[in-house]
Amino acid sequence: MELLGIFDATLTGSLLRFATPILLAALGGLICERAGVFNIGLEGLMLAGAFGAVVGSYFGGSALAGVAAAVLSGVALAALLALFAVRLRGNEIVVGIAINLLASGLTVYLLRSIFGVKGAFQDPALVGLSTLRLPGIDGLPLLGPLLSGHTSVVYVALLLTVGVQVLLFRHVIGLRLRGVGEHAEAAMTLGVDVGRLRTAAILVSGALCGLAGAQLSLGNVTLFVENMSAGRGWIAVVAVMFGRAHPLGVFAACLLFGLTESLGFRLQGLQLPSQLTESLPYVVTLASLFVFRSRTSRG
Amino acid sequence: MSALRELLGDLRGPLLAVGAAVLVGGAFVLATGHNPLLAYGAMLTGDLFATLSRAAPIVGMGVATAIAFRAGFFNLGGEGQLVLGGLAAATVALALPEGGLFTVVLSIGAAAVVGGLWAASAAFFEFRFRVPLLVSTLLLNYPARLLASYLVNHQLRDVDSGLPQTERIADGVQLARWGGSGRLHAGILLVLIVVLVVAFAIARTRAGYRLRMTGLNRRFAQAGGVDLRRLGTSVMFTSGAVAGLVGAVQVLGVHHRFIDNSLTQPLWAWTGLMVALLSGSRPLGVLLAGLFFAAVQTGGFAMERVTEVPRELSRVLQALIILFVAAKDRFRLALARTRRAD
Amino acid sequence: MSQHPPTAAFELQGITKRFGEVVANDAVDLSVDAGEIHGLIGENGAGKTTLMGVLYGIHRPDAGEIRVAGRRRRFDSPLDAIHAGLGMVHQHFMLFDSLTVAENVVFGAEPERYGLVDRAVAAKRVAELAERYGLEVETGALVGGLPVGVQQRVEILKALYRQAAVLVLDEPTAVLTPGEQEGLFRVLRSLAAEGTAIVFISHKLPEVLTLCDRTTVLRQGRVTGTVVTAQSSAEELSRLMVGRTVSAPKIEPHEPGETVLKIESLVVSGRGPDPAVDRVDLAVKAREIVGIAGVAGNGQSELAAAIAGLERPRSGRIRLGSAELTSLSVRERRAAGLACVPEDRDGTGLATAASVAENALMGFEGRPELAPRGVLDSAAIDRRAGDLVDQLRIRTAGVRAAAADLSGGNRQKLVVGRELAHDARLLLVEQPTRGVDLAAIELIHRALLDYSSGGGAVLLISAELGELLTLADRILVMLGGRIVGELARESATEERLGLLMAGGG
Repeated sequence: MELLGIFDATLTGSLLRFATPILLAALGGLICERAGVFNIGLEGLMLAGAFGAVVGSYFGGSALAGVAAAVLSGVALAALLALFAVRLRGNEIVVGIAINLLASGLTVYLLRSIFGVKGAFQDPALVGLSTLRLPGIDGLPLLGPLLSGHTSVVYVALLLTVGVQVLLFRHVIGLRLRGVGEHAEAAMTLGVDVGRLRTAAILVSGALCGLAGAQLSLGNVTLFVENMSAGRGWIAVVAVMFGRAHPLGVFAACLLFGLTESLGFRLQGLQLPSQLTESLPYVVTLASLFVFRSRTSRG
Repeated sequence: MSALRELLGDLRGPLLAVGAAVLVGGAFVLATGHNPLLAYGAMLTGDLFATLSRAAPIVGMGVATAIAFRAGFFNLGGEGQLVLGGLAAATVALALPEGGLFTVVLSIGAAAVVGGLWAASAAFFEFRFRVPLLVSTLLLNYPARLLASYLVNHQLRDVDSGLPQTERIADGVQLARWGGSGRLHAGILLVLIVVLVVAFAIARTRAGYRLRMTGLNRRFAQAGGVDLRRLGTSVMFTSGAVAGLVGAVQVLGVHHRFIDNSLTQPLWAWTGLMVALLSGSRPLGVLLAGLFFAAVQTGGFAMERVTEVPRELSRVLQALIILFVAAKDRFRLALARTRRAD
Repeated sequence: MSQHPPTAAFELQGITKRFGEVVANDAVDLSVDAGEIHGLIGENGAGKTTLMGVLYGIHRPDAGEIRVAGRRRRFDSPLDAIHAGLGMVHQHFMLFDSLTVAENVVFGAEPERYGLVDRAVAAKRVAELAERYGLEVETGALVGGLPVGVQQRVEILKALYRQAAVLVLDEPTAVLTPGEQEGLFRVLRSLAAEGTAIVFISHKLPEVLTLCDRTTVLRQGRVTGTVVTAQSSAEELSRLMVGRTVSAPKIEPHEPGETVLKIESLVVSGRGPDPAVDRVDLAVKAREIVGIAGVAGNGQSELAAAIAGLERPRSGRIRLGSAELTSLSVRERRAAGLACVPEDRDGTGLATAASVAENALMGFEGRPELAPRGVLDSAAIDRRAGDLVDQLRIRTAGVRAAAADLSGGNRQKLVVGRELAHDARLLLVEQPTRGVDLAAIELIHRALLDYSSGGGAVLLISAELGELLTLADRILVMLGGRIVGELARESATEERLGLLMAGGG
């Protein structure tokens, strides 16, 4: 009974909030995966987005400027990723690792040269994302806190999940994208520009990760901390595997991972040591891989 | 000459990558309102002893990563292995305060075993459940870090210090130090020995042959009778053991206690990984590249003192170098083409 | 300035294509008329595929010109070639397994509505096209689950959907059963009758003789002749192709010895629900070469993988002498007396980035004379590799050269030589001469026969019926994962084997 007690409004209310950054990054990873690019730079792209959001919000004076700057930062770094992984045909794993390290180094460097601080940046001039109350749903028990009272980025992420589903399986571009991912040579012999599609996929993932970053630094909190993505990009990579690169599957995986994060958050309220509650998402992510892989493998 | 090339690999790619990164990094410094010439000039004035003491963990972590890379396995979990190794070393050292060579060896051995087992667990997941090493090794970093952090904040905490750290280990368990205002310690020598042993083992032993062939073509090695599961598990164990040993070296030789975040904050594991990538995972190349990255980092500190440029420029430069290394062949080709077109 | 009548659908004039040192095509001329089926034949490595790659915009020629319908063209990519009215059916299909037949056909030129793929229109167009040319397909089926013959129809439909006036088929019959092959020929004839120019690439003479109007022969990158097929003969074409005839090795009459390999009701899982290998029994004796024939994909690879230890069988027994192999690791199997020449030379047989000596060492690194106390003795290793290079006349710059720098034939000799050197009781050989030049083929065949007469047991899996007929004492035929027939050397012919492979007989 006591165990069930933790499933309260605090938990449900934080579920989508925590799931959204992972979901957005995973959607980007999914699009890349479908195009035949294993994008492990999600972590870095998200971090760049989180930093860009803070810069945009601080200097632009609005959350919208923050979101725009976040998307732009994600796309800019993704362009670098695409340049090296697609155009210059570097090993995508090595390039992805380099992009993650570059994002981590760049954000710290810029944090110091722009704001003159180390570690974290918090300022009253930072405008966070405002939350929306959904009329009619807001007052309901459980469902209210679950669905209502989130930032617009959360709702955009939900819409984008459906959007990606339609794009991949109904749209001409989606058909070609899947073809490129499955058999690039065949797509090429039919006149599809493999490099261009892959570049586009990576840029889109940059935009999505940028949004994810904005939710982190302007939605869940209103500040920037060094390496604040904290492995969420990697959890997104796992979510793509777990969801078999299918938007609905990935969505389910992200809900699961978001749940563990909010569970950890909730348990922290019960005076459990933060280190143990914080490790919950990573442990559950790993465990989910064991279960998933051993169930789908034949031996 | 050809023997040297075999040991170090082709140096043209890495050098080209460094050159390109310096150019791009310079443009970046300029864009953020600083003078790149001044910054680079100041960078060159780094302290030699500081560089050597910095190079030890970088080279050590580079070799740890390189062992796995050469066999074709990813180990992105150096950080967790390093931290747990350091924690194990500190725990053993604190439990046996009498000191002596035996305790030092036991302490380092415990670090290696713990680091090794942490990495080998990822291999177990890969071969038993087909969980990709790339992801599992990385995700294992977080619980390792958080576990160590939890312990030094609770059970192992030195309550008098007020900081999240263990008590100071006894003098008898600390590694010997000589000169360089105390910055040179026996751990540096230990890392050097590890590099040489690993270099010999990879190039000249039966196990090294199997490791290299597996790295070049896994199916070929398997068809030839190499037991992938066994090789992979022992490779990951060795890789993690070296990482754990580096943790012990830092704890016993530098900090003399386990301090929360002291092994993760300087990004030893990630710098080591970059060094492995830059050097094509050749152990002697790792030594060179590790010294170079250590110099870049100490140069960063020197630069920060003299100019306004944040020392994190060295991290940006390192990452840029790896980007260019990843694309080095293409990049060289593109250069050659432009030259011909001129 | 064409000397040919204006009906030529396309012409290649003086095409030269080099890959590094190798001249793959040397001043090749080829002209094909509309409505003609033109054979292009030659041994493996004669330059057929490269030439068609040039025509299709995959390779840029170093010299020469391409004319399509009389106009000089330059193709920078397959897209240019497609726009000029060319279609190609590649040897390895260029299909998307997870997409439907209709999606595969319209890919890259999809009918759309508001940016979305108009599936109804796509299905309708493909169905119409299929009906018009008698290419029976189900437009909504996923391509990955279709039989090879149907997949090939999808490839042809792709070309027709793009209104190809020239259709190139690269070794289209290699994967077909004789029945499917008949169907393909009917389709090609009807296409030609409608005015499509067809290039039919093959190295099988009987097919070319029955199907083609004219035939161009390539040897070592050069055209050795273009003949009107009806006025030619298998002998003439063979002479043009080979330059000399392969001398069939003499086989001494011999009595096989005791049973070395015994397989009992072996079942190996496949990708689908049906097992890839289905209750197979077979035995190989000492001094005996047993061949396995079959259309590619009928379980031969899985059978070999199960013997080699790379695939775990679902049930059944594999005994080598007194050892039960199924529970043993690869290394233990090798210790029990097994050596293997794998099908995929560069993917499994070699580490191409490693040196010749390192490649020759694999499987021998445990021997104390080569690695005393676990430390490699590089002098001994190099000496041993040098002996292997001499014995098999492997052309290499030295034992320290990378295996990747060797030609295909020399790489194959390296693999065969290494495995022979195990002096194993059983040698499992898959496709020992695929993509290998004639001199190497003769040498490899001789080596296998010597091995067998020296007391070794050989299980030979090959797609080349000629090779099986030359080497094997008995030939088993696999179809759908089962052994469906066995012919002794005396009674085996290409025709009888072909019939068994197709499920007849």
